[in-house]
Amino acid sequence: MAPAAQFEAAQPPQDAISALVFAPGASNRLLVSSWDKNVYLYEVADGVEEANLVGTFEHRAPVLDVCFGSSPDEAFTAGLDRQVKRFVVAPTIEEEEVANIFGNRIDLATGEQTVMSKHSAPVRCVVYSADHSLLISASWDSTLHVHNPTDPSQPPLTIPLPGKPHALAASPTKVVVAMTARLVHIYDLPTLAAALASPQQQQPPQPWQQRESSLKFLTRAVACMPNDAGYATSSIEGRVAVEWFEDSAESQARKYAFKCHRQAVPEDEGGGGGDVVYPVNALAFHPVYGTFASGGGDGTVALWDAEAKRRMRQYQKFPESVAALAFSQDGKYLAIGACPGFETGMEDYSGAGKTKVFVRGLGETEAKGKGAK
Amino acid sequence: MGKKKRGHPDVEEILGRPWCYYCERDFEDLKLLISHQKAKHFKCDRCGKRLNTAGGLSVHMNQVHKENLTSVENALPNRQGLDIEIFGMEGVPDDIVQQHNQRIIQNFYTAQAERQAATGNPPRGLSGGQGPAKKLKYETPEELKQRLAAHRAQVAAQKAAGASGVPPTAAPADGQGTPPFPPPQQQGYPYPGGSGAPTYPATQTYPAAAFPPGASPPPGAAAASFALPARPPSGSAAAPPGAAAPPYFYNGAPGAAPPPGYPGGAPSTVDELVANAARQGAGGDDIDQLIRMAEAGIKPARAQAEEGAAAAAAGDKKKKGSRMVYADTEVSPEERMAMLPRYRWVEGAAA
Repeated sequence: MAPAAQFEAAQPPQDAISALVFAPGASNRLLVSSWDKNVYLYEVADGVEEANLVGTFEHRAPVLDVCFGSSPDEAFTAGLDRQVKRFVVAPTIEEEEVANIFGNRIDLATGEQTVMSKHSAPVRCVVYSADHSLLISASWDSTLHVHNPTDPSQPPLTIPLPGKPHALAASPTKVVVAMTARLVHIYDLPTLAAALASPQQQQPPQPWQQRESSLKFLTRAVACMPNDAGYATSSIEGRVAVEWFEDSAESQARKYAFKCHRQAVPEDEGGGGGDVVYPVNALAFHPVYGTFASGGGDGTVALWDAEAKRRMRQYQKFPESVAALAFSQDGKYLAIGACPGFETGMEDYSGAGKTKVFVRGLGETEAKGKGAK
Repeated sequence: MGKKKRGHPDVEEILGRPWCYYCERDFEDLKLLISHQKAKHFKCDRCGKRLNTAGGLSVHMNQVHKENLTSVENALPNRQGLDIEIFGMEGVPDDIVQQHNQRIIQNFYTAQAERQAATGNPPRGLSGGQGPAKKLKYETPEELKQRLAAHRAQVAAQKAAGASGVPPTAAPADGQGTPPFPPPQQQGYPYPGGSGAPTYPATQTYPAAAFPPGASPPPGAAAASFALPARPPSGSAAAPPGAAAPPYFYNGAPGAAPPPGYPGGAPSTVDELVANAARQGAGGDDIDQLIRMAEAGIKPARAQAEEGAAAAAAGDKKKKGSRMVYADTEVSPEERMAMLPRYRWVEGAAA
């Protein structure tokens, strides 16, 4: 077996995790955005099974999403303070410099922050499309902003949405926005790029496809297949749906949904044998094998083979709800953000002290599907 | 009468099934149980190796993957521990076995009651004939209920008969202390037109030893005084549902055939005698019923039925509506969190 092991990142965020993402390319950088207003940069060391905190980037407000830009040195964040920010990730910050960051609010030449755009409500998600050099942010003001990341001064293209967006994911040519009322819009990235290039155009670009979610409940996460064939969505009601972009009858007939992240209540413990249903908070496709992982409020992570429609693996329970998942670009690591889940009826919430970042090394064939049967 | 093939196994069969300590599932045989445990509970999530026990898996995880196993996978929340070594049915703690058996028995009877309520069929084994040959090992609440119903029907029939002018011969179950009636169970009371011999010769229901032929009890002797010892030790001479039909049940000697339409006032079974005796002391039908119920350790039939229905309804509801940890279909958890004072961000307020 491969040196597959799971380890915990030292110095986890102080509060709940909103997102985590691995850097593009060969880098093993891991960015984690947190409700404690910071973005944490970890370096996953190959071989020694360690993930060390190498930098912290303070924001004005809780950070709801983070993504890398064109290089491992550039990142974008979406914040509760309604701003989309670009910041340069310092190449391996030394310890005294870390102290500087805390003192001087990222005053380092390499840690500068630039506001890309301002929404009129908190920004929920940001995605970066490397193929089209586009940065897309989705905000609870029911708009998408399409930015040119190389020129922060250029005003973003604003696309109105019919509902509040909750999840956003990009494939090589498409971007999928999941909103309230089970709305799903799919935009074509080349169209967006063209529209951004010609700002004099009056009409905002129309979605390439408008769909209704196959799931009956609020969409929780979206992830696109790396081969650009389709995407997966998950809902608060322990279910995951897999759909294909292609609008042909046979492609649409292939879509399916399944139940997961549920826990049966034993009959002798006051239940009638029903299930406790957890939200599926996170989805991530494996960049190499095209299989995907789901992380739920039950604190488990499962690996699924979308082709064979089979669960390949379910990992041991994490101590808290799984909030975010990310595969590294080479598919060797799976990062898991665990923190208490927000549940119905909670008057107060704090992820302080219970938030952890796990990194799991994946075996050679651990995430490899067996193919359709 | 051969044993009929039934769709429902009896309680012993169910209790005999091997079951899994970790998830309470039961299986046809031990082999299946063991392969279930290997696949569901003792399988290594890193390499898929199936181990025989949780301890084995723990050692495997330790040596091969350098990981520590903390809990048994797919187990019920309180059964995830590694401290108990389970293999098949071996190693299951006694109290858990007891608990399991109790649950099985309870479920069995609930299911049986539901079936009976649904089909209206009498409990099996009680539909046909009766008599000492029928040996029942236990008396289910349903059987008790059934017997009670039969008895009450008989009482009603007697009442009806009494009203229609038939001589009030030994109407044991009628209103106590009603002046026109002699004390119940006056066995020696001669039937009008009947022979002078005791009208209660050894019936099929009475073991001969308890009531030797010819040794007729003195007239007026309280029935209970002799009937009680006669009760079979198994306590199983239950009156089947058919008991409600008095003529069929009357076990009088051929010579003492009752007149046509005779309501069968004589208690036909030992249990009934007991019941009647108890009634004398207790006063009313309802109280008697309560006492009988209490003796048998069951709740009144009505309450039980209601309870069963409620439980069934609750079960259905639970099955349909599983509990969702987060159930708001309009507002996402993030939006809720963003509204909390802890995270709220006000433009201009922050540095």
